[in-house]
Amino acid sequence: MKKQPLFHVVKRENAGPARQLLSYVAAVVLALAVGAVLLWVQGVEPITFYKQLITMGIPGSRYPWRALENFIKLFVPLLIVSLALSLAFKMRFWNIGGEGQFIMGTFWAGFAAMKLGESLPQPLMIVVMAAAGALGGGLYGVFVAALKVRFSTNETLLTLMLNYVALYFLQYFAETKAGWNFFLDPQSARPKFVKFPASAQMITIPIGPFNLNLSLIAAIAVCIILFVYLNYTKGGYEIAVVGDSPNTARYAGMKVGKIVIRTIFLSAALIGMAGAFQVSSAGILSASLTNDVGWTGVVVAWLAKLNTVGIVVASLLITVLQFGCQAASTTYPSIDANFANLLQGVILFIVLAADFFTRFQLVRTKKEAVK
Amino acid sequence: MKKILALALAAAMSLSLAACGGGNNGGNNSAASNPSSAVPAGDSDFKVGAIYITSQNDMAGYTFQHHNGITTAMKALGLDPADLIIVDGVPDTDDTAVATAIDTVVNQGADIVFGISFGYINAMDEKAAQYPDVIFSHGTGYMANDTNFNNYFGRIYQARYLTGIAAGMKSLELGNDSIGYVAAYNRQYAETCSGINAFALGAQSANPDAVVHVNVIDTWGDEALERQAAQALIDTYNCGVISQHCDSAQPQLVAQENNAFGCGYNSDMTEQAPNAHLTSAIWHWNVYYQTAIEAAMACNGDASKFVENMGGNAYYAGLAEGFVDASPLNEAIAAPNTKAVMDAVRDLMISGEWDVFSGVKLSYNISDDGKVEIVKLDAPLYSDGVELKDGVLVDRDFEIVPAGGPSVDDGVIKGSMNYNVAGVIEG
Repeated sequence: MKKQPLFHVVKRENAGPARQLLSYVAAVVLALAVGAVLLWVQGVEPITFYKQLITMGIPGSRYPWRALENFIKLFVPLLIVSLALSLAFKMRFWNIGGEGQFIMGTFWAGFAAMKLGESLPQPLMIVVMAAAGALGGGLYGVFVAALKVRFSTNETLLTLMLNYVALYFLQYFAETKAGWNFFLDPQSARPKFVKFPASAQMITIPIGPFNLNLSLIAAIAVCIILFVYLNYTKGGYEIAVVGDSPNTARYAGMKVGKIVIRTIFLSAALIGMAGAFQVSSAGILSASLTNDVGWTGVVVAWLAKLNTVGIVVASLLITVLQFGCQAASTTYPSIDANFANLLQGVILFIVLAADFFTRFQLVRTKKEAVK
Repeated sequence: MKKILALALAAAMSLSLAACGGGNNGGNNSAASNPSSAVPAGDSDFKVGAIYITSQNDMAGYTFQHHNGITTAMKALGLDPADLIIVDGVPDTDDTAVATAIDTVVNQGADIVFGISFGYINAMDEKAAQYPDVIFSHGTGYMANDTNFNNYFGRIYQARYLTGIAAGMKSLELGNDSIGYVAAYNRQYAETCSGINAFALGAQSANPDAVVHVNVIDTWGDEALERQAAQALIDTYNCGVISQHCDSAQPQLVAQENNAFGCGYNSDMTEQAPNAHLTSAIWHWNVYYQTAIEAAMACNGDASKFVENMGGNAYYAGLAEGFVDASPLNEAIAAPNTKAVMDAVRDLMISGEWDVFSGVKLSYNISDDGKVEIVKLDAPLYSDGVELKDGVLVDRDFEIVPAGGPSVDDGVIKGSMNYNVAGVIEG
């Protein structure tokens, strides 16, 4: 008799939206409870910590608007990258090269800033940087798509590997002090990036003491456009069909290769554009500036089931978690960045696990069935 | 339906956010910024903040040294280290992350912010201008202003010279002129370059024939590479003493495994390699942190007076202030009289009469009863004839300082030294 596993996984029949929502809420509560135990073990009072986490240390702080500005700087790249990745995932193109495409976006936006920043006015410069970033990121992504279409290469491996190529590519410019390297500060004996000219700094709209980063508006526009594109246009419909079954798409007369290349370019270009926003908001290049959005974006996209509105919510929540953890942990000697990461990891893991159990259930394998 | 629910969730979340924010803003500000029972209130309202590159709970390494220095200084000044506001794990290669971390620390009420890594430089500079009411102090950097922003570093080359003496005397005793040096970088950074040079000059003062072979690993810390580099120095040049400018104690461990000797860096490594380690060049960061926090507290809320209170915007102290030193000599294995020579030279440097990169060479007469006489000889300070310019080695004058001439400028030692002294061989 073959040995049988004790349990097997069965798809749930009644995973309605209400039930799903309930399970998400339950998962977050459970995750926070587990986190509370971890905090309590560290000698930190969980309720106070969570309160500071959710409010991100903003109440009672000296410059509350600045915390909000920083929150937006973290939120915008994650939102755009998650949306862009969901485009690729909908087509079952496993783009895990968000990091690399983001870096390429920052690099070419930085290139444009250094070369043209002195001569172009600010609004035009921001557009040029966004375009340069989008093109840089887009071509970096479309390269893999072309290989997949032409030679059926594995896009998971290629996009993954190209992340590291991009990372070291940028690091080379960050660390190589030489006459030709116009990215670096000539005044500094040690290699360090020089600030962009003023016109290459992201436009902000002052609302009282608060400066609204223009990239937030751009991100909201991207959300709306993508929502319409995916749900109400031929291109969006093609993505869905190719994702469900490339053969059906072919049978229906769609040019699958063209659709793949077009969509991946769009996906990677958006990621590159997010990179451009990031560097122009920072006003300077950095050697490692992704804040892991290429990875976190994958989690966000799947948490949200690739749903555009869901992605907005999930990336908002994850940014609150990240930024709030930092603000909350500043005054606790026992809570360092590692613990904050652990806490975030535990919370994400439990939410993902709960998601699994809303869609599937474990069923005890019956003895009779084995015979 | 699904979308509506998701929207509802989003709305509920943002509402609850607003509610929390509103509730806490209602005249209970101090409680919100420092609310926990786990954080006891300090004696003073003065708040210290710090940005660290790795975890505040590290037990060794760069962040550990600084954290230890800051908390020691706080205790000495009657501040509670538990009130220290920290954002740690901040990569020095991400300007946005550094700027955000500084904002967070300032928002939590810090009156002075210490940034310990060179890469924080742009963000520190920018934020010092943005928050004129907060003091900024940047370790290993060179930027500053005339009011609320300074930088700090130490004459670690003086400590290196002392460890060089221990290495030179050991090499003389061993009859082996080859000394090895595992270095993160060499001419690329004045910090590493001046350290190598000072060590070599110290070694040559005890053993004029000493040659320092430098093996560069191109990273500040990588235990495997540090290990390999030390082993290569021993295998290739038969080095009897191994010095280092890198993070871990691996070069000392390798020296011990090969029955060689060594000089460490950053912490006393005798514990790790008791049969090899002679002495280390070490920092007493608390010396600076105490000076800085005291000066900051004396500003009484007017941050712009900080630089004036510090007597300048670039703190650069050495042996005299107790900021750097050689760790206690491992006398069980050091060459005879090493301690006496090191003490004599330490006193000489503390007196301010002589410094490492000058046109005066030291040598030592040691009498039979162990008395040390320092012999000063006017002699040019020679380079090996090349320097690193924009990533390329180009020819330079051999003479750095003429015989009897004054020390090389502090600015060069800290910021632009890009050549090796004679007797240093890279590779």
